This record gives sequence, structure tokens and C-alpha cells, in this order.
Amino acid sequence: MNPRRVAAVARRIAEGFRRDRRSLALLVVAPLVIVALLGWVLRDQKSTVVDLAVVNEAGAIGSRITDALTTATANAPNGVSLVETDESEAVARDRIRNGQIDLALVLPSTLLSDVAAGHQPTLTVITAGTDPAAEGGAFASLQSVLGTVASTIAPPGSAPIIPKIEHQTVYLSPDADQVDVLAPVFLGLFAYFFVFILTGISFLRERVGGTLERLLATPVTRAEIVLGYAIGFSVFATLQVLILLGYVLGRIDVPTIGPVGAFTIGLGVQSAGNPAIAFLVALLMAVGAVNLGIYLSTFARTELQVLQFIPIVIVPQGLLGGIFWPIDRLPDILQAIAHVLPVTYAVDALREVMLKGGDLGSSAVQTDLLVLAGIAVLFVLLGAFTIKREVA
Amino acid sequence: MNARAAVGFEPAVEAIGLRKHFGPIHAVDGIDLAFTPGRIYGLLGPNGSGKTTLIRLLAGLARPSGGEARILGLTMPDRPTLGKVGYMPQAEALYPDLSVGENIGFFAALQGVRGSAAIDRSLDLVELGSRKGAPVLELSGGMRRRLSLAVTLVHEPPVLFLDEPTVGVDPALRVQFWGHFRKLADAGTTILVASHVMDEADRCDELVFVRAGRVIARGTGADLRSTAGTDNLETAFLRFAGLDDAGRPLDAGRGPDPEAAP
Repeated sequence: MNPRRVAAVARRIAEGFRRDRRSLALLVVAPLVIVALLGWVLRDQKSTVVDLAVVNEAGAIGSRITDALTTATANAPNGVSLVETDESEAVARDRIRNGQIDLALVLPSTLLSDVAAGHQPTLTVITAGTDPAAEGGAFASLQSVLGTVASTIAPPGSAPIIPKIEHQTVYLSPDADQVDVLAPVFLGLFAYFFVFILTGISFLRERVGGTLERLLATPVTRAEIVLGYAIGFSVFATLQVLILLGYVLGRIDVPTIGPVGAFTIGLGVQSAGNPAIAFLVALLMAVGAVNLGIYLSTFARTELQVLQFIPIVIVPQGLLGGIFWPIDRLPDILQAIAHVLPVTYAVDALREVMLKGGDLGSSAVQTDLLVLAGIAVLFVLLGAFTIKREVA
Repeated sequence: MNARAAVGFEPAVEAIGLRKHFGPIHAVDGIDLAFTPGRIYGLLGPNGSGKTTLIRLLAGLARPSGGEARILGLTMPDRPTLGKVGYMPQAEALYPDLSVGENIGFFAALQGVRGSAAIDRSLDLVELGSRKGAPVLELSGGMRRRLSLAVTLVHEPPVLFLDEPTVGVDPALRVQFWGHFRKLADAGTTILVASHVMDEADRCDELVFVRAGRVIARGTGADLRSTAGTDNLETAFLRFAGLDDAGRPLDAGRGPDPEAAP
């Protein structure tokens, strides 16, 4: 071990960084931006008041509970606000579907008889079922409010009756876990991420290796290059999305064989809607990513610099695209950013289709697909434009 | 001065007051040229003298800042005309993952060449016919250079721009290359070869000396030698550039070149 040689190698790295200021800047700036963004998203999330509706099927006792709930939730001390009473469970479910309320509490007609007979009464709480984390929080808030209510309405001197709560969901099953909810959504991000990196590097090689120069010395048009690239990569993006979709939706239980224990392949997520539409969404993302890769490869001189686009292009989309936090809870500025990110629309469309069973007739799905197609076209133009610039 | 009038008939390649500026750098600074069909022209000059930029302008890969470049009478850049041009870049410009056959097949398809006859002919010409299935990654530097030439020739273009085609090519192969160039020229192809190797210059029909983006002399090797009063082309180049044998300026009024001063 010769310290001089070690020092020479170390110095070579330092000199490389000195020449490649961008890498140096990124080394410092990228993690700062990501950490700051994460802090911003987590700290400044809009306070989430859960909008509750009560469906009273229990008559007079139900009205007493509703009144007590109204008092207990005035100014939403527990983050729960009673916004309305609905005449039936069906109405409440519709309003959850439309996003007008977050929770519905159903007071059953058997409430009085159960209490009178000394049984523990059962109340039903209905949530959307598409966001277990947020709904779990809302559920807990409601439980603490109900505890307050129970002690308010209990006759003086007697112990409050704590009801049993049954959780029902409008979409999916109440047992759905984070995987059921997140897996479909990750399809959109992954379709974008890997295709972007591959095309970016591939096109960079085309520029750096001189083959683009040779290409442009033939009668080929820019549109032909960009379209050919999009088709070529889309074939493989299609394959990728199909395999990923298969893994998310499929489930094979492998029994115990010899020393290998039983295990499962695939996530077995149930898709409420047509997986073909989910596939279309992922494909649109992939086409957009191909051309974004072509466009951004102009701004890179080395493959390392292509990878440096990950914290700029991919990470913010993962954080702001509505995967982990609903977009309407983001600070206003970040909401505005979220609304120009393709992942936002892909996530929304994939949720709409795979969790809520939306189809091509759903206006939300239509809007998302149109925006995604628009973004893909924009990236195609950007990609073609940068090839022209090379010639000029 | 009209270059066309001087030649007397339609030149295959023409530059008229051609300029290309990159910010303050005048890479090509007003060049007039007219190339007769079926001849080999040598573009000679030191590194950074504007040879590659001139070729890129002629081949329609860059837009001139001023003046005009014409191929077969058509103003460049002109996309359809590129089908009549063969451009061999200085860089390798091949796909290393693809095989020899796949590389040449790709560019042949872009040039509208159908069938494999032209591809095989082109590969045989550079003696790579037996390596058609080999990945470029496994080829030696000389073989890659040969493949690059085959790719350039596959659509049998009437105009060829070869940017330092013999760099990294061993002497025996270099002789073969020049043999091909001569055969192509005899068949009517107009060829421009950029080089900074003066000993290749005598294989050209006519030489163009460039320095700092300008043509400083042109003519046959013999003409240039006799005009400069030397039998060495390198010395002739220095004379036309206004430099002494050590590369120092001859013109005392301009003062010594700080770079070259001892």
C-alpha cells in the first residue's frame, strides 16, 4: 500500500468533481431539496378535519346521540366535524363516493332495544376504503369523539355504554391493506421511472457516440427518429408494464416443497375496474417518459449526469403525485406543482380504475387520460425540438 | 469572385463565402470552394483549423452563419440531398452492442437501400464480409474504422465526406483505403478527405490548406510545393501560413507568437 498512489486516486476524484461542478452541486443540492420538500409536505399538511355525516335509524335515542355529537364536534376539537345528517345509508354512501364527506356513522334501528336488553350496541362506520392510512386516523378520531358522547348521554351515576364499531367501506374491503391501495398506483411511477432512465442513457449514447450525427447525415427526419424511438421503447415498456401488472394482480401460492417453505408469488390485488385501462395509463406514461428522456439527455454530457435527473424528475413526482398523501392536503404551492406532474394524473386514473372501478365512461378517467396524452405529445415535441437544435 | 464561373461547369460540392461562428469563434471564416466531380480533394490543416466544421456545413449537419454550401447544385442543409452524400465522421459512430451486419443494415435502411446485396458488397470491400455476425464490441479499432467506411459507402453516394478516415488505421490498410477511394473517384465519386497527415496528401488530386477557418492555399501537391519553394508539404503549409520552420510567424511586424516563443 503506497500512500502516494492512494492520494493520487483520491485527488483524481476531487479533480473530477472540480471539473464536473454539476455533480458537485447535485451532491449537495439534491438531498437538500428532497429533505426540504419532505419536511414541507409533512409539516405543512393542511389540517385534516374529517367531515362526518350521521344516518339516524334509531329514532329518539339516535337524535339524542346526534345532538351530543353536534355539541362534541363543535369547532372540531378532535378533528371531526359533523356536517350533516343523511336520511339513509345509501345516501351517505353516495356522498362518500362523490367526496362530499369522509365518514358516515350509522345509528341502527336496533340501538334502543340492544341497550335495553343490556347488549353492547353496534354502530356502523363507513369510509371510502381507498386510503387506509388516512381513514385509520379518521376512524380513531371518531372513536374518541364517541367516547365523549357516551359519557355525556349516560344517566348520572351509571357507567357509559361503549358501543362496538363495525367498519364498512364503499370501495375495496375493510381489510384492504396499504399494498392493495399503493401497488396499483406504483405502476404509474415505475412505468415512468425506468423508461425515462433507459431512454435518457440510450439517447445520450447516441449523441456522445456520434451515431446521432451519422443518423442526421441521412435523409431521416426528426419525427421519424422520435417516433421510432417511442415505438421501440414502448414495446419493452409494454412488456414491463404487463409483467408488473401481472405481479400486482396475480397470486400464485407455492406449496411447501422439501426444505423450501410455502410462499406466494404476486400480490393478488383485486382490481375493481378493467386492468386494460390501467395498462393504457401506464403505456401513456411510458411514451411520455421516452420523449422526456430524449429531451433531458440534451442537458447531460455523461451517463452519470442522466442519473442525476432522478432526484429532479422522479423523486418530486413520487412525493407530490398523490401516492402517499392526498394532493388536497399539500400546501397550496406544492398543490400547484402537483397539478403539472404527469404522475399525479396517472395515480388518479389508476386509483379511479383499480380501486373505484371507474371505466372509460368516468369523467375523472377521461380527464386523466386526456391530460396524460397531452403531456406525452408535449414531450414528443420537446424531444423532436432538441434534435433539431443539435443540427442548427 | 464566382467559384462556378472559375470552374466552368456544375461543381459537385460548392462553398460560397461560407461562414460558421460559435459566439466569438469563427470556426469557418469565409470559404469559397468548388469541387469537380470524380476527383479526390484533401482538406489539410492543423487540429482546430475548422476542417470538421467545414465538412459538417457541406454535409448539411450545421447551418451556416453566412454564405452558402451546395451539393450537386442544391443548397444545404437539404434533407433529401443527404441520400446522395456519404459522411464518415471522425468519431466511431457505430452501435457497439449490435453486430457488424446490424449496424450497416440500420444505416442502409435509413438510406433506403433494399436487399442485402449492397450491404454484402460494401462489407466485402472493407474485408469484413466474414465478420457480419460479430458484435462491434469485439472488433479491433481498425476493423471498426473499416466498418465505419462500409456504412458510409453502402448507398453508393456520388459525394463522400471523410473526416480523418485513416486515423488509427495501420499502414497496410491505409493503402487499401486509398485504393478504394481512387476506384470510387474513377467511377465519378467526388471525395473530400480531411486529414492532418501530410504524407497522405499526395494521394489526392488537389489539396486545400486551411488555417483558422480560412483557405490559405489550394492546388495540386506539386503546384503548392513549387509555389512555396520547398519539396516538403509540411514546410509548404508553414510558408502559406506565414510561419517559419519552427512554427513562428515570419512577419516581424506582428511580433513573436507568445505561445511559440521560447
